[in-house]
Amino acid sequence: MLSIFFGNYQGPNYIDNPDLYFDNTYEDEWLSDERSKEMVKDIDRSDLVGPQLVVSPFLGSIPVTRLSGGVKTLIQVDHDPDHVYNASACGDNCAKWLLRIGQEKDILVCLGHMMHFESLDPVKDRSEKAHEKSILDPLNIRIDNTGEIVHSQAELNRKVILSGLLDEGGEA
Amino acid sequence: MIGKYDITLYNNKVHYHLTVKRNITILRGDSASGKSEFIRLLSAYNSNPASSGITLICDRKCSVLTEENWQLFTATYTGCIFFIDEGHTFLKTKEFAEAVEGADHYFVIISREKLSQLPYSIDEIYGLREDVDSGRYHNPKRVYNGMYRIFGKMVEDGRFEAK
Repeated sequence: MLSIFFGNYQGPNYIDNPDLYFDNTYEDEWLSDERSKEMVKDIDRSDLVGPQLVVSPFLGSIPVTRLSGGVKTLIQVDHDPDHVYNASACGDNCAKWLLRIGQEKDILVCLGHMMHFESLDPVKDRSEKAHEKSILDPLNIRIDNTGEIVHSQAELNRKVILSGLLDEGGEA
Repeated sequence: MIGKYDITLYNNKVHYHLTVKRNITILRGDSASGKSEFIRLLSAYNSNPASSGITLICDRKCSVLTEENWQLFTATYTGCIFFIDEGHTFLKTKEFAEAVEGADHYFVIISREKLSQLPYSIDEIYGLREDVDSGRYHNPKRVYNGMYRIFGKMVEDGRFEAK
Protein backbone atom coordinates (compact mmCIF):
# COMPACT_ATOMS: atom_id res chain seq x y z
CA MET A 1 0.00 0.00 0.00
CA LEU A 2 1.03 3.57 -0.60
CA SER A 3 1.79 5.35 2.69
CA ILE A 4 2.35 9.07 2.74
CA PHE A 5 3.94 11.16 5.43
CA PHE A 6 2.73 14.74 5.13
CA GLY A 7 5.00 17.57 6.25
CA ASN A 8 8.62 17.52 7.34
CA TYR A 9 9.77 13.93 7.62
CA GLN A 10 12.24 13.53 10.46
CA GLY A 11 12.88 9.80 10.17
CA PRO A 12 16.10 8.15 8.98
CA ASN A 13 17.17 7.70 5.34
CA TYR A 14 15.11 10.60 4.04
CA ILE A 15 16.00 11.98 0.61
CA ASP A 16 14.81 15.58 0.24
CA ASN A 17 16.16 16.05 -3.30
CA PRO A 18 15.43 12.85 -5.24
CA ASP A 19 16.49 14.43 -8.53
CA LEU A 20 20.05 15.03 -7.37
CA TYR A 21 20.21 11.78 -5.42
CA PHE A 22 19.18 9.78 -8.48
CA ASP A 23 21.97 11.23 -10.61
CA ASN A 24 24.60 9.95 -8.23
CA THR A 25 23.14 6.66 -7.05
CA TYR A 26 20.95 5.07 -9.72
CA GLU A 27 21.58 1.48 -10.69
CA ASP A 28 21.53 0.44 -14.34
CA GLU A 29 19.12 -2.42 -13.67
CA TRP A 30 16.48 0.05 -12.43
CA LEU A 31 16.39 1.43 -15.96
CA SER A 32 16.05 -1.91 -17.70
CA ASP A 33 12.81 -2.57 -15.89
CA GLU A 34 9.61 -2.55 -17.95
CA ARG A 35 7.73 -0.29 -15.56
CA SER A 36 10.55 2.27 -15.62
CA LYS A 37 10.22 2.39 -19.40
CA GLU A 38 6.45 2.83 -19.14
CA MET A 39 6.79 5.61 -16.59
CA VAL A 40 9.36 7.47 -18.71
CA LYS A 41 7.09 7.13 -21.73
CA ASP A 42 4.05 8.35 -19.84
CA ILE A 43 5.56 11.19 -17.81
CA ASP A 44 8.43 12.42 -19.97
CA ARG A 45 6.97 11.29 -23.30
CA SER A 46 10.39 9.81 -24.02
CA ASP A 47 11.81 6.40 -24.83
CA LEU A 48 14.07 4.85 -22.24
CA VAL A 49 16.32 2.94 -24.62
CA GLY A 50 18.61 1.63 -21.91
CA PRO A 51 20.52 2.63 -18.79
CA GLN A 52 22.64 5.06 -20.80
CA LEU A 53 20.16 6.61 -23.18
CA VAL A 54 16.81 8.35 -23.35
CA VAL A 55 15.35 9.60 -26.61
CA SER A 56 13.21 12.67 -26.07
CA PRO A 57 10.96 14.05 -28.81
CA PHE A 58 11.90 17.55 -27.63
CA LEU A 59 15.55 17.31 -26.60
CA GLY A 60 16.83 14.46 -28.77
CA SER A 61 19.21 11.91 -27.24
CA ILE A 62 19.81 12.68 -23.58
CA PRO A 63 21.37 10.86 -20.62
CA VAL A 64 19.12 9.43 -17.92
CA THR A 65 20.27 12.19 -15.58
CA ARG A 66 18.12 14.59 -17.65
CA LEU A 67 14.91 12.72 -16.99
CA SER A 68 12.34 14.75 -15.08
CA GLY A 69 12.59 14.92 -11.30
CA GLY A 70 9.17 13.29 -11.10
CA VAL A 71 10.06 10.17 -13.03
CA LYS A 72 13.43 9.87 -11.28
CA THR A 73 11.56 9.89 -7.98
CA LEU A 74 9.11 7.22 -9.16
CA ILE A 75 11.94 4.96 -10.33
CA GLN A 76 13.68 5.30 -6.97
CA VAL A 77 10.51 4.68 -5.01
CA ASP A 78 9.96 1.55 -7.09
CA HIS A 79 13.47 0.17 -6.74
CA ASP A 80 15.00 1.51 -3.56
CA PRO A 81 13.06 0.46 -0.45
CA ASP A 82 15.85 1.64 1.84
CA HIS A 83 15.03 5.34 1.55
CA VAL A 84 12.04 7.60 2.03
CA TYR A 85 11.76 9.98 -0.90
CA ASN A 86 10.32 13.46 -1.07
CA ALA A 87 7.50 12.94 -3.57
CA SER A 88 6.91 16.68 -3.83
CA ALA A 89 9.33 16.33 -6.73
CA CYS A 90 6.40 14.62 -8.46
CA GLY A 91 3.63 16.43 -10.29
CA ASP A 92 0.06 15.21 -10.32
CA ASN A 93 0.83 13.27 -13.50
CA CYS A 94 2.93 10.94 -11.31
CA ALA A 95 0.10 10.19 -8.88
CA LYS A 96 -1.30 7.14 -10.64
CA TRP A 97 2.15 5.58 -10.76
CA LEU A 98 2.59 5.96 -7.02
CA LEU A 99 -0.74 4.20 -6.59
CA ARG A 100 0.23 1.44 -8.99
CA ILE A 101 3.54 0.79 -7.27
CA GLY A 102 1.64 0.87 -3.97
CA GLN A 103 -0.73 -1.80 -5.24
CA GLU A 104 2.19 -4.21 -5.56
CA LYS A 105 4.28 -3.37 -2.52
CA ASP A 106 4.34 -1.28 0.60
CA ILE A 107 5.97 2.06 -0.07
CA LEU A 108 6.40 5.18 2.04
CA VAL A 109 6.92 8.65 0.57
CA CYS A 110 6.86 12.15 2.00
CA LEU A 111 4.73 14.98 0.61
CA GLY A 112 4.99 18.68 1.36
CA HIS A 113 1.95 19.50 -0.76
CA MET A 114 -1.43 18.01 -1.63
CA MET A 115 -1.16 15.71 -4.59
CA HIS A 116 -4.26 15.11 -6.68
CA PHE A 117 -4.77 11.40 -7.05
CA GLU A 118 -8.16 11.62 -8.73
CA SER A 119 -7.26 13.78 -11.67
CA LEU A 120 -8.64 11.29 -14.16
CA ASP A 121 -12.14 12.28 -15.16
CA PRO A 122 -14.20 9.29 -16.36
CA VAL A 123 -16.56 11.59 -18.27
CA LYS A 124 -13.89 13.46 -20.21
CA ASP A 125 -11.56 10.50 -20.57
CA ARG A 126 -13.85 7.72 -21.63
CA SER A 127 -11.41 5.22 -23.02
CA GLU A 128 -8.05 4.17 -21.67
CA LYS A 129 -7.77 6.75 -18.91
CA ALA A 130 -11.23 5.96 -17.56
CA HIS A 131 -10.15 2.32 -17.45
CA GLU A 132 -7.09 3.35 -15.49
CA LYS A 133 -9.30 5.16 -13.04
CA SER A 134 -11.46 2.09 -12.50
CA ILE A 135 -8.31 0.10 -11.72
CA LEU A 136 -7.21 2.64 -9.14
CA ASP A 137 -10.63 3.43 -7.74
CA PRO A 138 -11.23 3.48 -4.82
CA LEU A 139 -8.03 4.93 -3.49
CA ASN A 140 -6.19 3.15 -0.75
CA ILE A 141 -3.73 5.50 0.86
CA ARG A 142 -2.36 5.28 4.36
CA ILE A 143 -1.56 8.57 6.08
CA ASP A 144 1.66 7.71 7.87
CA ASN A 145 1.36 10.58 10.37
CA THR A 146 -1.86 9.18 11.84
CA GLY A 147 -2.07 5.60 10.59
CA GLU A 148 -5.46 6.30 8.98
CA ILE A 149 -6.38 4.81 5.61
CA VAL A 150 -8.38 6.95 3.21
CA HIS A 151 -10.31 5.91 0.12
CA SER A 152 -10.99 9.12 -1.76
CA GLN A 153 -9.28 12.40 -2.60
CA ALA A 154 -11.90 14.30 -0.60
CA GLU A 155 -11.26 12.16 2.47
CA LEU A 156 -7.51 12.61 2.06
CA ASN A 157 -7.83 16.39 1.72
CA ARG A 158 -10.09 16.59 4.75
CA LYS A 159 -7.81 14.55 6.99
CA VAL A 160 -4.65 16.37 5.95
CA ILE A 161 -6.12 19.86 6.18
CA LEU A 162 -8.13 19.40 9.38
CA SER A 163 -5.18 17.78 11.11
CA GLY A 164 -2.89 20.56 9.89
CA LEU A 165 -0.37 18.01 8.69
CA LEU A 166 1.14 20.40 6.15
CA ASP A 167 1.33 23.27 8.61
CA GLU A 168 4.65 24.00 10.20
CA GLY A 169 4.99 21.81 13.27
CA GLY A 170 1.78 20.06 12.33
CA GLU A 171 3.19 16.60 12.67
CA ALA A 172 0.68 14.32 14.33
CA MET B 1 12.41 46.72 -8.34
CA ILE B 2 8.87 46.96 -9.68
CA GLY B 3 7.04 46.28 -12.89
CA LYS B 4 6.55 43.49 -15.36
CA TYR B 5 9.45 41.73 -17.09
CA ASP B 6 9.42 39.42 -20.08
CA ILE B 7 12.02 36.70 -20.22
CA THR B 8 12.76 34.83 -23.43
CA LEU B 9 15.26 31.99 -23.34
CA TYR B 10 15.92 29.56 -26.15
CA ASN B 11 18.32 27.27 -27.94
CA ASN B 12 17.72 25.32 -31.11
CA LYS B 13 15.36 22.84 -29.45
CA VAL B 14 13.36 24.58 -26.74
CA HIS B 15 12.02 28.09 -26.37
CA TYR B 16 10.65 29.64 -23.20
CA HIS B 17 8.73 32.82 -22.72
CA LEU B 18 7.93 33.87 -19.16
CA THR B 19 6.49 37.05 -17.72
CA VAL B 20 7.07 37.94 -14.08
CA LYS B 21 5.11 40.69 -12.34
CA ARG B 22 5.77 40.35 -8.63
CA ASN B 23 8.82 39.83 -6.46
CA ILE B 24 7.91 36.18 -5.92
CA THR B 25 6.61 33.90 -8.66
CA ILE B 26 6.04 30.21 -8.04
CA LEU B 27 6.35 27.61 -10.80
CA ARG B 28 4.82 24.18 -10.29
CA GLY B 29 2.60 21.79 -12.21
CA ASP B 30 3.11 18.43 -13.84
CA SER B 31 6.44 16.68 -13.99
CA ALA B 32 8.34 16.96 -17.27
CA SER B 33 6.77 20.28 -18.21
CA GLY B 34 10.22 21.84 -18.68
CA LYS B 35 10.80 23.64 -15.38
CA SER B 36 14.18 22.14 -14.58
CA GLU B 37 15.19 22.29 -18.24
CA PHE B 38 14.68 26.05 -18.06
CA ILE B 39 17.07 26.21 -15.09
CA ARG B 40 19.61 24.05 -16.87
CA LEU B 41 19.45 26.26 -19.94
CA LEU B 42 19.81 29.47 -17.95
CA SER B 43 22.78 28.07 -15.99
CA ALA B 44 24.45 27.03 -19.23
CA TYR B 45 23.82 30.48 -20.72
CA ASN B 46 25.33 32.26 -17.71
CA SER B 47 28.42 30.06 -17.73
CA ASN B 48 29.38 31.44 -21.14
CA PRO B 49 26.77 33.72 -22.73
CA ALA B 50 28.59 34.31 -26.01
CA SER B 51 29.47 30.71 -26.78
CA SER B 52 26.61 28.84 -25.20
CA GLY B 53 24.38 28.76 -28.26
CA ILE B 54 21.61 29.96 -25.98
CA THR B 55 19.83 33.29 -26.31
CA LEU B 56 18.45 35.21 -23.36
CA ILE B 57 16.35 38.32 -23.87
CA CYS B 58 15.40 40.23 -20.74
CA ASP B 59 15.79 43.79 -19.49
CA ARG B 60 17.19 42.47 -16.22
CA LYS B 61 20.01 40.11 -15.36
CA CYS B 62 18.68 36.59 -14.88
CA SER B 63 20.58 34.09 -12.78
CA VAL B 64 20.15 30.78 -10.97
CA LEU B 65 20.49 30.57 -7.20
CA THR B 66 21.99 27.46 -5.62
CA GLU B 67 22.87 26.37 -2.10
CA GLU B 68 26.37 27.60 -2.75
CA ASN B 69 25.75 31.04 -4.23
CA TRP B 70 22.39 32.34 -2.96
CA GLN B 71 23.71 34.47 -0.11
CA LEU B 72 26.46 36.02 -2.19
CA PHE B 73 24.27 36.72 -5.21
CA THR B 74 21.30 38.18 -3.32
CA ALA B 75 23.60 40.43 -1.30
CA THR B 76 25.85 41.68 -4.08
CA TYR B 77 23.69 41.99 -7.18
CA THR B 78 20.95 44.56 -7.59
CA GLY B 79 17.77 44.37 -9.64
CA CYS B 80 18.10 40.74 -10.74
CA ILE B 81 15.59 38.05 -11.55
CA PHE B 82 16.69 34.92 -9.71
CA PHE B 83 15.51 31.42 -10.52
CA ILE B 84 15.58 28.62 -7.97
CA ASP B 85 15.02 24.96 -8.79
CA GLU B 86 13.19 22.66 -6.40
CA GLY B 87 15.05 20.63 -3.83
CA HIS B 88 17.15 23.39 -2.33
CA THR B 89 16.99 23.37 1.45
CA PHE B 90 17.68 27.12 1.79
CA LEU B 91 14.20 27.84 0.40
CA LYS B 92 12.66 26.91 3.73
CA THR B 93 15.06 28.88 5.90
CA LYS B 94 14.38 32.05 7.84
CA GLU B 95 17.60 33.55 6.40
CA PHE B 96 16.31 33.20 2.87
CA ALA B 97 12.92 34.69 3.80
CA GLU B 98 14.72 37.69 5.30
CA ALA B 99 16.90 38.04 2.22
CA VAL B 100 13.82 38.03 -0.02
CA GLU B 101 11.99 40.55 2.12
CA GLY B 102 14.73 43.11 1.94
CA ALA B 103 15.89 42.49 -1.60
CA ASP B 104 15.59 44.54 -4.77
CA HIS B 105 15.18 41.36 -6.82
CA TYR B 106 12.50 39.18 -8.30
CA PHE B 107 12.50 35.48 -7.39
CA VAL B 108 11.05 32.70 -9.51
CA ILE B 109 10.84 29.59 -7.37
CA ILE B 110 10.15 26.08 -8.62
CA SER B 111 8.45 24.29 -5.77
CA ARG B 112 5.24 22.44 -5.00
CA GLU B 113 5.91 22.56 -1.28
CA LYS B 114 4.29 25.00 1.05
CA LEU B 115 6.68 27.91 1.58
CA SER B 116 4.80 29.47 4.42
CA GLN B 117 7.57 31.91 5.34
CA LEU B 118 7.48 33.59 1.93
CA PRO B 119 4.75 36.15 1.16
CA TYR B 120 3.63 35.18 -2.35
CA SER B 121 0.27 35.69 -3.99
CA ILE B 122 -1.94 32.82 -5.13
CA ASP B 123 -2.27 34.75 -8.39
CA GLU B 124 1.43 34.32 -9.01
CA ILE B 125 1.48 30.53 -9.02
CA TYR B 126 2.04 29.27 -12.55
CA GLY B 127 2.73 26.12 -14.47
CA LEU B 128 4.64 25.69 -17.72
CA ARG B 129 3.14 24.13 -20.79
CA GLU B 130 3.67 23.95 -24.47
CA ASP B 131 2.42 27.22 -25.91
CA VAL B 132 -1.00 26.58 -27.42
CA ASP B 133 -0.33 29.39 -29.88
CA SER B 134 3.05 28.08 -30.95
CA GLY B 135 1.96 28.07 -34.59
CA ARG B 136 2.79 31.76 -34.71
CA TYR B 137 6.45 30.96 -34.23
CA HIS B 138 8.65 30.21 -37.18
CA ASN B 139 10.88 27.31 -36.22
CA PRO B 140 8.91 24.04 -36.27
CA LYS B 141 11.84 22.15 -34.74
CA ARG B 142 11.52 24.00 -31.45
CA VAL B 143 9.15 23.32 -28.62
CA TYR B 144 7.65 26.58 -27.37
CA ASN B 145 6.82 26.81 -23.67
CA GLY B 146 4.85 29.48 -21.88
CA MET B 147 3.30 30.09 -18.49
CA TYR B 148 -0.27 29.53 -17.38
CA ARG B 149 -1.85 30.56 -14.12
CA ILE B 150 -2.74 27.54 -11.99
CA PHE B 151 -5.36 29.13 -9.74
CA GLY B 152 -8.12 31.42 -10.91
CA LYS B 153 -10.43 33.50 -8.78
CA MET B 154 -12.22 31.79 -5.93
CA VAL B 155 -15.80 30.85 -6.62
CA GLU B 156 -18.37 29.29 -4.28
CA ASP B 157 -17.49 26.49 -1.82
CA GLY B 158 -13.85 27.59 -1.72
CA ARG B 159 -13.19 26.17 -5.19
CA PHE B 160 -11.05 28.02 -7.71
CA GLU B 161 -12.17 28.76 -11.19
CA ALA B 162 -9.57 27.42 -13.60
CA LYS B 163 -7.88 29.96 -15.82
